[in-house]
Amino acid sequence: MKNGFSFPPRSSRREEAQINCRLPIADCRFYLEPRHLGCYQILIFLAALLFAGNLFAADVAADFSAANKLYAEGKFADAAAGYEKILQTGAQSPALLFNDANAEFKSGHLGLAIAAYRRAAQLSPRDDDIRANLAFVRNQVQGATVREGRWQNWFSALTLNEGALLTAALFWLTLALLVARQIRPALVPRLKSATWICAALTIFAASVLGLQAANHFSSATAVVTADNVTVRSGPFDEAQSAFTARDGAELRVSDRHDDWVQVANGTGKSGWLPVKQVEILPGA
Amino acid sequence: MADNLLGKLFLRWRIPKLKPGLAALFVFLVALNSGAASFTASLDSDTIALGEQATLSLKFDGIQPQNAPTLPAVAGLRFQYVGPSSSFSFINGQTSSSTTYNYIVAPQRDGAFVIPGMRVDVNGQQFASLPLKLTVSKANAPSAAAVNSGSEVAFLKFTFPKNRVYVGEPEVGRLDLYLRDDVQNFGNFQLTGAPADGFSAGKTAELQNQRRRAQVGNHVYTVIPLAVPLTAVRTGALTLGPFTASAAVVLPSQNRNGDWPFNFFNQGEQKQVTLATDPVSVECLPLPEQNKPANFTGAVGDFTMTVTAGPTNVTAGDPITVRVQIAGSGALDGVALPAQDAWRDFKTYPPTTKLETGDQFGFQGTKTFEQIISPQNSDVHELPPLTFSFFNPEDGQYHTLTQPAVPLVVKAAAASPMPAIAPSKNQAPENQTPQDILPVKESLGTLAKESVPLVVQPAFLAAQAVPALAFLTAFVWRKRADSLANNPRLRRQRAVAQLVHDGLNDLKKFAAANQPDEFFALLFRLLQEQLGERLDCPASAITENVVEENSILRRASETTRTDLRELFQLCNQARYAPVRGASELNSVAARLEQTLGELQEVKA
Repeated sequence: MKNGFSFPPRSSRREEAQINCRLPIADCRFYLEPRHLGCYQILIFLAALLFAGNLFAADVAADFSAANKLYAEGKFADAAAGYEKILQTGAQSPALLFNDANAEFKSGHLGLAIAAYRRAAQLSPRDDDIRANLAFVRNQVQGATVREGRWQNWFSALTLNEGALLTAALFWLTLALLVARQIRPALVPRLKSATWICAALTIFAASVLGLQAANHFSSATAVVTADNVTVRSGPFDEAQSAFTARDGAELRVSDRHDDWVQVANGTGKSGWLPVKQVEILPGA
Repeated sequence: MADNLLGKLFLRWRIPKLKPGLAALFVFLVALNSGAASFTASLDSDTIALGEQATLSLKFDGIQPQNAPTLPAVAGLRFQYVGPSSSFSFINGQTSSSTTYNYIVAPQRDGAFVIPGMRVDVNGQQFASLPLKLTVSKANAPSAAAVNSGSEVAFLKFTFPKNRVYVGEPEVGRLDLYLRDDVQNFGNFQLTGAPADGFSAGKTAELQNQRRRAQVGNHVYTVIPLAVPLTAVRTGALTLGPFTASAAVVLPSQNRNGDWPFNFFNQGEQKQVTLATDPVSVECLPLPEQNKPANFTGAVGDFTMTVTAGPTNVTAGDPITVRVQIAGSGALDGVALPAQDAWRDFKTYPPTTKLETGDQFGFQGTKTFEQIISPQNSDVHELPPLTFSFFNPEDGQYHTLTQPAVPLVVKAAAASPMPAIAPSKNQAPENQTPQDILPVKESLGTLAKESVPLVVQPAFLAAQAVPALAFLTAFVWRKRADSLANNPRLRRQRAVAQLVHDGLNDLKKFAAANQPDEFFALLFRLLQEQLGERLDCPASAITENVVEENSILRRASETTRTDLRELFQLCNQARYAPVRGASELNSVAARLEQTLGELQEVKA
């Protein structure tokens, strides 16, 4: 299967960190069927959902503070477990991933730290702190690794959703101008320049969005999360060693077969790695 | 009873197997039973000593803000967010919930402070708290008698090696923390105040491997020395301190009466102590103007200088690297290489610097300057002597170090471009390699669930069709409008069709009302309008004769022409012998409708 990767939900990195969803919001969705409810019941349900959401946010904030405290006390592994526990509820924020990455780095897990920084950067690509720490941790990684190209860095200044919203806004604006020209032909001379500029910007933004989407959906990066991993020439344990990757190495994913993933490093070498030894991220 | 029921519901609600509908109802009931929402701010103590800390609590009853409120800045107070706490209660069927955000308040100086009232917006509702007063009293060092009696569990002592210093002279102050021998443990030591007006203070650090024990009065104390690097920056009478600090110490428990093994767990009790030193007066002298060398650049300390230059056999215009090392003790940060007036025959480039410190305070070490120069002509035979002056505070004298001239062999050559000078990594602070990662973020920020990107969400893609459809609709509408505007025949055809449609309805009304005059007047007009449109001539010009004379109408069927003739004749007859009866008028209207329909089929 060349390209076209699917990314499973984030899996647990710590068996001891159990998913602890404090409110059964998800269960509510299955038991309450809106077609059986009256308006009053729907209002009660929405009020309950709002209240439950607030409680959930307060719980997350408390867990986040507790993990921060553990980090401040130098208990980095415990802090990382605390952040991971929040992430397993499905909630995420740039700060949460950033702190998780810091704790992983301080615990000596370069690969997990880099993966978390990259996830944080995908949510908040213009955050200087995230970029600085990612660069710092990358400098600690030994051996061959793959880095984003110049154009990828340039395109990643916006998230995929920001790019989509910007393109949509320009598209709507362009068509609004065209509609105005149809309804009021007298406005055509005045709107001519604006229409052309908007149309050109829309085409440019759509092109960038297309490249961003292509990069996001058709390429992937594997971050090695264990040290001295043997990359093999085939997707089986008995295959010959092709090269060795160090913790934190970022490798380009080119194929996937069962629980193995084919990767290439920056020097042109390629091979197969077990999925459990890497964290796969969308985008090159 | 109700309490029990709610309590049971609450317990079951925490269990994921509880039906969500019931949980939703419960949560709603909690919201309904809750009292009025309120927001209050309070301090656990309104009077503290400098070095102590108070706790500020922001309590939200019945409401749940999204994030911890941001506190207003109060000069002299430092706030540190600790975290939230929540509580729920069921009392006599009334349910209440509250969330409290706690902050540590650490004063930076003594005095009376007012923490202004805070306004917060929770879900569109505005809440305000009352202002709070906090009085911070001065922290005083314990008296000598108290220290000697051993009543002090811990105390601080600050010593400064000199009582007279020169401006720019670096010195290391010493802060000794004394802990009584019965202190089992101590921690959370924080220097809460370090007033050193007129001094530039460096980072306070413990002097490694210098802990000792000392007898003070009747007790033995453990002395933990801390170094405070200070450099005087202002002349005059200066005061250092009082330095204040807080720490938590663990003392033997007063309540150890229990029997073994239960007293085994009662090992000690923690106590928060506030520490302060006496202030120390220091006189800061200005650098003397007498005998000040012309090339003095402000270096204060005791230094030596080493100069190397190479290569020494060059062609005019070639670069020569001059490396100047200033080593010694003093304010190395402020050491600058003086301008060398004797280098007028050289082109000079800005020097790069590298500081290698030999102690933890940066007061000893070597500062290396690397400067690229290039001789401008072949008449240059030496690198002129290099001089560096500094002020030594130990002897109160200026000293000038001079490096002898370095012989050079400079050959004349054809002009060649100067090699580019690569910028040094140490040239700008932003190029320096960071030593560690940036710290964690205190604020969680906006939480979001992991979701599919917008570009693959069907709803988002479908929404993009809306402006496209709007444009297509506007485009088609515009084309039709333009087409109509450019075709007067079509416009008249549509206008007549509308007129005929409305006129036939009116005819039926006139027939029903038995109004023959109005009926036949309208009938005649409809005939004129429809024929005029078909024959492309004014309606007023249409008479019965056109049926016979017009070539277009000859293409119509004989029945149509006969009907037209009869309708015109009926109109004429009605003027003299009016037709009576609704049924008769209705039959005429039906005939007209049929005839006009046939007429519309005639090609114009």
